Amino acid sequence: MKGERKKKIKELEEMIEVVLLSIPREIASQKFYQTAFEKATTDISRKFFQSLVKEEKHHEAKLRKVLNKLQNELKKVKELK
Amino acid sequence: MKKDELQQYSGKEGKPIYISYKGKIYDVSKSKLWKDGVHMNIHRAGEDLTNDLSEAPHGEEILDKFEQVGILENESEYLYIDNKESLRDLYRKFHPHPTLVHFPIAALFLGALLQFLFLITKTSSFESAAFYSILFATVFQIPAVISGIFSWWVNYDSTLTSIFKNKLRYSAILLCMTFFVVIIRFLISDISFRDDILSLTYNIVIFFNVPVVFILGFYGGKITWH
Repeated sequence: MKGERKKKIKELEEMIEVVLLSIPREIASQKFYQTAFEKATTDISRKFFQSLVKEEKHHEAKLRKVLNKLQNELKKVKELK
Repeated sequence: MKKDELQQYSGKEGKPIYISYKGKIYDVSKSKLWKDGVHMNIHRAGEDLTNDLSEAPHGEEILDKFEQVGILENESEYLYIDNKESLRDLYRKFHPHPTLVHFPIAALFLGALLQFLFLITKTSSFESAAFYSILFATVFQIPAVISGIFSWWVNYDSTLTSIFKNKLRYSAILLCMTFFVVIIRFLISDISFRDDILSLTYNIVIFFNVPVVFILGFYGGKITWH
């Protein structure tokens, strides 16, 4: 039982790390595409980069949601005795 | 209002429709786009929608149309998203940590190399150069560590995962070792020329800095290339 709890904590911590490290990358991508959008000279490219910005924002939001859930789950598991 | 209390305002059985955004609770019952507590078949009443709004075709200004009826407790966990935005931008622009860490890394490698040359050739200028190189690294470690902690706070919300635990652990070890070398060399200027246990420890610590720097670099790389 104790071993299982330990294993679960380790798994959650690993997942949190993966999600946590992914968030700044999504933000960096957003900024990159945002700059490209501002520099784009044609309507097609502007629309394309705008859609990419939106996609990256969507990824960031999803990751934050998952991170929040994982952190709450970890908290619950750690509180269990 | 707590999260579980908010969930009771589900829009069902005549109950009002409440949602929260960035710690504020809004009554959106008047909106025609919320039916039976569901919005666009995706979002449900009684939930925090802070992380969902960026996916919506409208911005947060839409919430100005609705009455704010309360504050969600523990709202700070949502507010950080925007509170650090300008600092994140600043960090991305100047990226101080990767810039600053290279100075102590290079200087510690150089220090170890020069001390090694001194031990082989017994040329005192190598010993002096090794000491000044390590002194330079020790001084530059301080802004490197501060910028690292700032990066950890601004980009990762100071979350302690195994990578960051190891970064902190080995940074503390390195700080102790370099300060030990500098202080000993200040107090005993001929430490490298002596033939005792303290001199041996002094040399071991200088060379031991190298693998510790490698380990720190490895974990730093893991953050970028995970």
